[in-house]
Amino acid sequence: MNASPSHRPHPAEWTETQSLLPSAERDLPAGRHQFHKEQMMARIHEDLRTPSRTSSRTSSRTSSRTSSRTSATSPVAPVKRSNPFLRRTILLPAAALALAGAVAGGLALTDGGTQDDTTALATGPALTTRIGTADAKGAPQLLDRISLAAADTSAPTPHKGQYIYIASKVADTYIKTVGGKSEAVSNELHSRQVWNSLDGRDGWLIEAGETSDKGITLKSNVPFSGAYNALAGLPTDPAALLRKIYQESDAVRDPEVPRDQAAFVAIGDLLFESYPPAEVGAALYKAAAKIPGVVAVDDAVDATGRHGVAIARESDGERTEWIFDKKTLRFLGERVVVVKAKAGDLLKVGTVTHTSAITERAVVDANKQFPGQVS
Amino acid sequence: MRTRIRAGDPDAFAELFDACARSVYNHAFRLTADWSLAEDVMATTFMEAWRRRTSVEAEGASLRPWLLGIATNVARSHHRSNRRYRNAAAAAHAAEERVEDHAEETAGRLDDRRRINATLAALSLLKRPEREVLTLCLWEGMEYAEAARALGIPVGTVRSRLSRARAKLRKLTDAQLLEEKREPTRTNRQITGDRGYAVRSAQEGNR
Repeated sequence: MNASPSHRPHPAEWTETQSLLPSAERDLPAGRHQFHKEQMMARIHEDLRTPSRTSSRTSSRTSSRTSSRTSATSPVAPVKRSNPFLRRTILLPAAALALAGAVAGGLALTDGGTQDDTTALATGPALTTRIGTADAKGAPQLLDRISLAAADTSAPTPHKGQYIYIASKVADTYIKTVGGKSEAVSNELHSRQVWNSLDGRDGWLIEAGETSDKGITLKSNVPFSGAYNALAGLPTDPAALLRKIYQESDAVRDPEVPRDQAAFVAIGDLLFESYPPAEVGAALYKAAAKIPGVVAVDDAVDATGRHGVAIARESDGERTEWIFDKKTLRFLGERVVVVKAKAGDLLKVGTVTHTSAITERAVVDANKQFPGQVS
Repeated sequence: MRTRIRAGDPDAFAELFDACARSVYNHAFRLTADWSLAEDVMATTFMEAWRRRTSVEAEGASLRPWLLGIATNVARSHHRSNRRYRNAAAAAHAAEERVEDHAEETAGRLDDRRRINATLAALSLLKRPEREVLTLCLWEGMEYAEAARALGIPVGTVRSRLSRARAKLRKLTDAQLLEEKREPTRTNRQITGDRGYAVRSAQEGNR
């Protein structure tokens, strides 16, 4: 993975971090490197002699060196998250600032530059949109219709060993600082393709500007929270589902993000780059209808220019919109729009801070396989 | 190397330790603000790495991101609250300041101490999740996607955490500028014209 630092400023390039670079690093205290290495090697050799032994006890190696720090060799169980919800809920308002995408035409494409095998994304002025009219009363009815449409989908059920493929077009807006001058810019709309195994422990990502053309693995010990199996395991009773969502999001929520907003975003995360079973998708929309502050929006445009209606919620001056086809009520995409600006904000009202449109959703037989391809 | 680590080859682990112990130690310090705890975290990280060796992917470049991901988890289990981090940072800061009185201190060491203090001051401003991503991306030179993999979170989350971290750091920078205006002789900030260094180290992190 060799992303170019030039397309989206890497922290090493921020003016804010220049006082912290180059980094000051320190060696381990004298003798400690060797000491810990020997401890590790002792454990390894011991484990290799008795392969079935669990590693729950500390090393019994007799070392000529004694240390008050031998406790360091007892393995600490790492904190494992079983939370099936994306942790993006934690930082909602911040998402706004950094992830600002821009639709609308007219991206003045500047030179992106290339480094290694990742092509940098071109950037242009931050793009803006007309803000649709929000209607709080209309939200339950609209969500009810969306839920019905979601339940009706006759999509194929994935089988063990298959992968969920999601293709989308995305763009982000961020604040770019050059020579002390800061301005909001959007990167060009680019393609993103994600594969995820049903258990969420394996997958692949190809995203322009973020990965090389070849892509990167998404293999992980921490399963992807929006994975098919995780979704299939959710309750389909909307009230029970919403309780679970609040419970899960409360556990990881940044206290600065309002509780209801965190729950709304958590639901969006489960619906977006995912393939929920029809009854779970339907239940998620019904659950969203119960969240205070959720509104219907009469008009919204997705990243590819498709107009639709939206379900939205405003928090911290930004509105997160889930966009649906006006007729079929199929999910088209998601975007975040600035609806209230604070004094001194570089992101003006109407700025699209993040936008993402789903272009294809499919079940494929293998990781990295494209829909229609034979394995 | 990956194949040998997966297979549990002791020599491969010895090499991995020699290559990465220092890195993991310094990463752990930034996450805990405590050198002695950092040493514990470093040692535990390698034990964990050994235990989880089969989870290493067959393909890929350096194993450092994998190790740093484990280290982040280990550090997290050691230290939970922001209050504790601030206390530790304040203590570490005081310790660094004390040593500065030593006359034989070389200019280079002084610089290092100042830089460590600046790092702690910056990291103290952040919440743990922000601190984790900033540490991986800034000092360990990881790209967003790489940090996301190491932490098991979506790339979008990395970006948002960084953006929030940046907003907070901006306040710090402003505060420092004010201080400099008040005390023009005192320079607490490191002027680093050597941007090339930062970029180079970022690339090394990707190999």
